[in-house]
Amino acid sequence: MSPRIPHHLLTLLCLVASLGVRGEGLHEQIDALLAKDWAAANVAPAAMSSDPEFVRRLHLDLNGVIPTAAETRAFLQDTHPEKRVRLIDQLLARPEYSLHMARVFDVMLIERRLPAVKSYDVAVAAWRTYLAEAFAANKPWNALVREVLASDGSDELQPAAVKFYVSRDADPHQLTRDVGRVFLGSDLQCAQCHDDPRFSDYKQADYFGIYAFLSRMSFHRDVKLNRSFISEKAVGEVSFTSVFTTEQGKTNPRLPGGEMIADPMLEKGKEYVSAPTSTARGVPVYSRRKQLAEQMPRTETPGFARNLGNRLWAMMLGRGLVHPLDLHHAKNPPSHPAVLSALEHWLVEHRYDIKGCLREIALSRCYQLSSELPPGSEPMADAFAVAPLRGLTPEQMRWSLLRACGRLDASFMRAEEQLKKTKPAEVEAKLKNWHWVKENYEALEKATTTLIAAFTPLPGTDDSKIDPVVDHALFLLNNPKLMDLIKAAPGTAFDRWSAFTDPAAMAEDVYLSIFNRRPLADEAAEVVKIVSAAKTEKDRAEALQPLVWGLLLSAEFRFNH
Amino acid sequence: MQPSLTRRQAIARLAGAAGTAAFAPSAFATSAHRKQLLVLFLSGGASQLETWDPKPGTKFGGPFRAINTSLDGVRIGELLPRTAKIMHRLAVVRSVNSNLPDHEKGHYAIQAGRLAPGYPVLGSAVAKLLEQPGDVLPGYITLRRAGPKAYTDSGDAGFLGAKYEGVRVIDGLPPENLIVPAGINAAALQSRDAVRRAADQRFLRSHAKAPINGYSTTFDQARALMQRREIFDLKAESPKDIERYGRHDFGKNCMLARRLLEAGVPCVRVVHFDWDAHQDNFYWHQMRCAEFDRTFVTLLDDLEQRGMLEHTLVVVTGEMGRTPQINNLGGRDHWGRAWSVAMAGCGIKQGIVHGATNDLGTEVKEHEVGIGDLFHTYLTALGIDSSADYDLNGQTNPIADPAAKPIKAVLA
Repeated sequence: MSPRIPHHLLTLLCLVASLGVRGEGLHEQIDALLAKDWAAANVAPAAMSSDPEFVRRLHLDLNGVIPTAAETRAFLQDTHPEKRVRLIDQLLARPEYSLHMARVFDVMLIERRLPAVKSYDVAVAAWRTYLAEAFAANKPWNALVREVLASDGSDELQPAAVKFYVSRDADPHQLTRDVGRVFLGSDLQCAQCHDDPRFSDYKQADYFGIYAFLSRMSFHRDVKLNRSFISEKAVGEVSFTSVFTTEQGKTNPRLPGGEMIADPMLEKGKEYVSAPTSTARGVPVYSRRKQLAEQMPRTETPGFARNLGNRLWAMMLGRGLVHPLDLHHAKNPPSHPAVLSALEHWLVEHRYDIKGCLREIALSRCYQLSSELPPGSEPMADAFAVAPLRGLTPEQMRWSLLRACGRLDASFMRAEEQLKKTKPAEVEAKLKNWHWVKENYEALEKATTTLIAAFTPLPGTDDSKIDPVVDHALFLLNNPKLMDLIKAAPGTAFDRWSAFTDPAAMAEDVYLSIFNRRPLADEAAEVVKIVSAAKTEKDRAEALQPLVWGLLLSAEFRFNH
Repeated sequence: MQPSLTRRQAIARLAGAAGTAAFAPSAFATSAHRKQLLVLFLSGGASQLETWDPKPGTKFGGPFRAINTSLDGVRIGELLPRTAKIMHRLAVVRSVNSNLPDHEKGHYAIQAGRLAPGYPVLGSAVAKLLEQPGDVLPGYITLRRAGPKAYTDSGDAGFLGAKYEGVRVIDGLPPENLIVPAGINAAALQSRDAVRRAADQRFLRSHAKAPINGYSTTFDQARALMQRREIFDLKAESPKDIERYGRHDFGKNCMLARRLLEAGVPCVRVVHFDWDAHQDNFYWHQMRCAEFDRTFVTLLDDLEQRGMLEHTLVVVTGEMGRTPQINNLGGRDHWGRAWSVAMAGCGIKQGIVHGATNDLGTEVKEHEVGIGDLFHTYLTALGIDSSADYDLNGQTNPIADPAAKPIKAVLA
């Protein structure tokens, strides 16, 4: 990039140029670009997804849980030609969308990290509420990032947003790395000690440019308020030495590819709003950290919009166009550069509209491909020519198990009935209110901590790195808490299933509840065989247990496909 | 999914499969026994100066003496008196330059044999490379006490996927959920498993095989662990034997490691904690070395007596060494420029010290060795062609860093 042309002007030029060739929506562009790439690489894409594949996948991706049997049935029976579009819009409008996105972005931003003193962390509930609020309002990504990076834990700024810093002990080096990874898609870790020999585009000066925004901050625990804050000094310069070449450098705050930012001249003795002491946190008049909050979420920051596009793509398609998500550099180019650039430009044009972008991706042919392999071939994962099998995330697994077994909806039914009794006038509004929905999810969350713990990987891992391991299998085979879900008890789906007197109808309901599809003939026959000998509801429930359990253990349930 | 095999590996595999060697009592162990790996990981970074490479009487030497060993002309730190007596059975590399004075990066890079992220660590890699058809026990089990740092488990299987991840046994507790829930009869369990298998068979017909088979394997592993959960139970061992290993975490975990290796688990790692002596380095090393010295020698003796050392490579390493310079708090800090690693067992030349540091221990003086070289060496000792590639779904990745090579001098 020529240094004489301001970057935003270049971006504008690119936009104008690109608008000329595309008058269509983003999903049409994606379809056309991928079709071209597939043709060029001689890749035969899979067929379009069946309705059952689509309804399950879309619920998991947009609401974080498989659909109920009733929802599935309704969708399969719907004959409207635009029913897929309508489902996409429905699910995006639900309170569950905000709650699911809060969970997804919690993991994306925090990566399950914990501060050294766990009790100093920002409460998950407050943080998730903050995120859910943002997604309910469809807060633009740049605004969200600005808040997260600006927050120091004080009430004037979004207090819960400080979790990004607190969960990393406000450690400037850890944060430098994660700011680069999470917001720009570049892992500059190696560049901490030297220019990265692997990738010429990761420079030590870039690492320390980000570091200079953060180096003056530290963690502050207010013991009286029992709260965590960020403290910041008004002084502190950054210099660095390569361990390879012993070359030295000095830097002010600077984002990779951006300008260095000079500190303003402040009168001596007037550098602080309140100076740091042994018990009080420092609040400088000029905060380099707040400069980061201003500089990062801008279109002019190389990588900022692209990183979001790549991450939203990965959320829906199981892997990034650049993969791993945090290794964007010359030697790891995007598999489909034009698609990534279309996403990037769309996001800039549409002011970082996350919901809108997910909608476009969901509308694309690529998203709606079947996970059944095209005949005779298995396309490479980065061709995006067949829907991947993605292991359910711990959260998806928890809610999907609870839903398949009827527990989730029984719990909401009870809450709704309670509401009808106490506040009948508010029922309709409450059901659409994410606060109310969230409270009810939280009540169930507390009751199912074992369930999520069993599937949660180590701190520092994000959802793109989750694979089934033997611990999961042992849990599913033997854990007593899981057994509570798969036995005939009030509030489980066994109540509903065992009430069927027609075994074929029962078989259908079981398969719609667990696999979100109707059973094949031999599957239905198997259910009929199992339950036909049972006379009473209790007998039927008992006979069904091994079947339901086995289906829950199967790959078809474990994967988003 | 199979990595490309060399002829040697293919023969080793056939030999292993023919003899059902994995579960054979050790008395029948033969040279055709499948190779196994035991890593003793000194987490935090042990000081080379207090262990394998003492510099007594020098500026940075510290207060301890060096003592004679069973190897002529070789002296090690006096904190390892028992180890000194078996030096003729070890190979020690005194010229490691990893240049990674950092826990997290060191943990990954030392075990993965390279800096580039996403590769499997040694235990996971070897689990994959020594895998035999019909294996059900986990390929890699890692033993440690609870806490304190997540980086202890960093890396793991990388692109090889969850199947080759280290199964974590923490505080000697077997994995959770090893016992069938009460009140469920055997017929129901059978029918459950039949339903799962039938569903997976059906799903396999039209979908990508690797993830489905990978998931299915976790159930086979689970069943194998459930059936053999007694291998985690040290109650079967006599108090006298437990005493020999030491009644501390490291002792118990080393004993458990021996049991797991005997049961046929291909790779086991034991983590020994608290070597990160930024303060009071000499006090800490007295404590740490006392535990290590006795347990290590007991373990090697047992492995040898049972005929297991012939097919088991034992690696003693941490994520780094410690600075020659002694800080104001009497500590030694993080250091990767000149430190030591030890090996014993199969494929290793016994009684050799390779490489050397300068008089003060501040730089490698001869035969500098990098993390990639060590990784090549471990694999070669295990009979694996370290110059081969993994071939996973059409993507090839070198098993070991192509820019590095095995250290011939320490290989048998």
